[in-house]
Amino acid sequence: MISIKAISKWYGEFHVLKECSTTVSKGEVVVVCGPSGSGKSTLIKCVNGLEAFQQGEILIDGVSVGARGTNLSKLRSRVGMVFQHFELFPHLTVIQNLTIAQCKVLRRGNREATEKGQRLLDVVGLAAHAEKFPAQLSGGQQQRVAIARALAMDPIAMLFDEPTSALDPEMIKEVLDVMVKLAQEGMTMMVVTHEMGFAREVANRVIFMDQGQIVEDRPKADFFKSPDTDRAQQFLSKILSHGVQT
Amino acid sequence: MVSFVAGLDWNIFFQPAFDGSGTYLRFLLIGLAWTILLSVTAWILAFVIGSIVGVLRTFPGRLLPGLGAVYVELFRNVPLLVQLFLWYFVLPEIIPGLGTWFKQALNPLLQQFVSGVLCLGFFTAARVAEQVRSGINSLGRGQRGAGLALGLNLPQVYQLILLPVAYRIIIPPLTSEFLNIIKNSAVASTIGLAELSRQAQQLGEFTAHWYESFIAVTLLYGIINVTVMIVSQFVERVTRLPGYLGGRK
Amino acid sequence: MYQFDWSSIPGALPYLWQGMLRTLQITGVAVVVGIVLGTLIAVARLSKSSILSNLAALYVSGFRSVPLVMVLLWFYLLVPQIISSLFGQPGLDIRLLSAFVAFALFEASYYAEIIRAGIQSVSSGQVSAGLALGMTSGQTMRLIVLPQAFRRMIPLLLTQAIILFQDTSLVYVIGLAEFFGVAYNTGNRDGTLVELLLFAGIVYFVICFAASMIVRSLQKKLVS
Repeated sequence: MISIKAISKWYGEFHVLKECSTTVSKGEVVVVCGPSGSGKSTLIKCVNGLEAFQQGEILIDGVSVGARGTNLSKLRSRVGMVFQHFELFPHLTVIQNLTIAQCKVLRRGNREATEKGQRLLDVVGLAAHAEKFPAQLSGGQQQRVAIARALAMDPIAMLFDEPTSALDPEMIKEVLDVMVKLAQEGMTMMVVTHEMGFAREVANRVIFMDQGQIVEDRPKADFFKSPDTDRAQQFLSKILSHGVQT
Repeated sequence: MVSFVAGLDWNIFFQPAFDGSGTYLRFLLIGLAWTILLSVTAWILAFVIGSIVGVLRTFPGRLLPGLGAVYVELFRNVPLLVQLFLWYFVLPEIIPGLGTWFKQALNPLLQQFVSGVLCLGFFTAARVAEQVRSGINSLGRGQRGAGLALGLNLPQVYQLILLPVAYRIIIPPLTSEFLNIIKNSAVASTIGLAELSRQAQQLGEFTAHWYESFIAVTLLYGIINVTVMIVSQFVERVTRLPGYLGGRK
Repeated sequence: MYQFDWSSIPGALPYLWQGMLRTLQITGVAVVVGIVLGTLIAVARLSKSSILSNLAALYVSGFRSVPLVMVLLWFYLLVPQIISSLFGQPGLDIRLLSAFVAFALFEASYYAEIIRAGIQSVSSGQVSAGLALGMTSGQTMRLIVLPQAFRRMIPLLLTQAIILFQDTSLVYVIGLAEFFGVAYNTGNRDGTLVELLLFAGIVYFVICFAASMIVRSLQKKLVS
């Protein structure tokens, strides 16, 4: 579904991504973790072309992200993305947030889009908040709306960029619950997160990144039982002893 | 002070004006009308050009933001009076064709008005552009990314996501730019346009009632200011988003 | 095609230079008086006394609601009358004096707003710390708050000075000839108005652009 082939990226002199390669197959859930500044957020933003990269290739469902002829908008509309800071549109109501891209990108009618939006709000447990503005919701609620917004496009895969790291501890669970449910229903997911509980519960594989490199890329059980590298081991013990802090 | 105030003769406003246009009160109100007409027309121009230039400055790449920056620097670093004289005296001379048409086909009043509108519009556009740019930038890269990630193209992201919020954030600075354009319109008196400041001077010159004239005109500018502020606060209240406190970095 | 005739500029350069000196003179006086007076007004605006605070607010909003052209005309009306009632008819350049007064008082209202924002950007914890050391509130303002505020405000104060430098061209409306006035008069006399206006525009642009670049690099230095 998603195949990342040896991509490298520089910010000026700074080498942010070094020959990263991995694949995410259909229905697979891959968790990407690593210390802050390791390049994991940059990597996931490369997948739908929000960040450009200088070398390598990324294919989504066979379509190359960086290639000249690619219709990036169309490609992005098929890949859902959830951001650290939610990025709901503050001037639109919750339901409008869910319908705007359906109408403008997928050319769905307003009625169809609204019905779809309502159904998804119901799925994330926020059906009663459709007419509110984002700023009137809690962080956890906003992030659930953001997930519903991405799902409204019927994505073939979902990208999560630290979806819970801007949330207060008591709200993390409500967002993770939605993500777990999504994973169990077979959604293809690539998730940047430090929530190792989530990884344990639903991930197929765990990728560990450090200093722009993919250091480990292994099945979940192997990773948690005995990480290959010292760096991953240190990272894991830090995470386990300090909770979710990076 | 008391004797000064007692010495003022307000009846002057009910006497016929030297140009036969009616009373001097009417004479000043004509000036007020020109001030408003000039300011509003120029504002529309400034808003359109300023929005385009401001948006250009936030585009990806080098070329378009660079062009926007050149515009802003050019119009910000030459005095308004000099710009007005360039529009009024210089451009009609050195632009072939269009300049000749301007001088021959338009009557003097229209020449003054068109020059005033272009001057104030292009000048204020540079300042509007800076506000639009900072409004868009205050939304951070996240909103742009979220719009793109949903498959919206760049024009859609600007039209549907960035600009509606950016404009709301910059209502207060845009209000003060609008107030500035009204004040700056007084510069058009130097090329003879019969706006408020020009009428004040004429009234003083023909009647020698300088104080009455200046006090009245100063009050009129004050009233315009207060009115614009009230309207702006109303617009701000109506467009305010529930719970939203403005942009974040 | 328009035939440019730049011949009247070389001969006019000494006069243009004199005009530029006058422009700088007006700018300098207005910046210095404006900042001093503006600081007093800003402090009054923030004082606990509601009379002082309201008077300061009235001063600021009064000057800011009137076009500079009108302010210049007002002071060209007032200053000569006040001078003659005080001193009779002295040998002063009454236009220049009117311009000094008008710009200084006008700019004070703009500087007052910049300085007020600067003072308010210093955290209230700094005031508490000063008071806790036994300083009076005046000492706290002078020794603790204002030095920090001014450091932060330098770029804005300078930018305002650049705007002021451009605005001095408006003394044209009271018939005073500074740089722009000299350029206009020369062009008018020699029938080379097009060239002289273009020349003036270029000179203003070069000076203001260079100055704003310097302010910008200063700003970067202050931030880092």
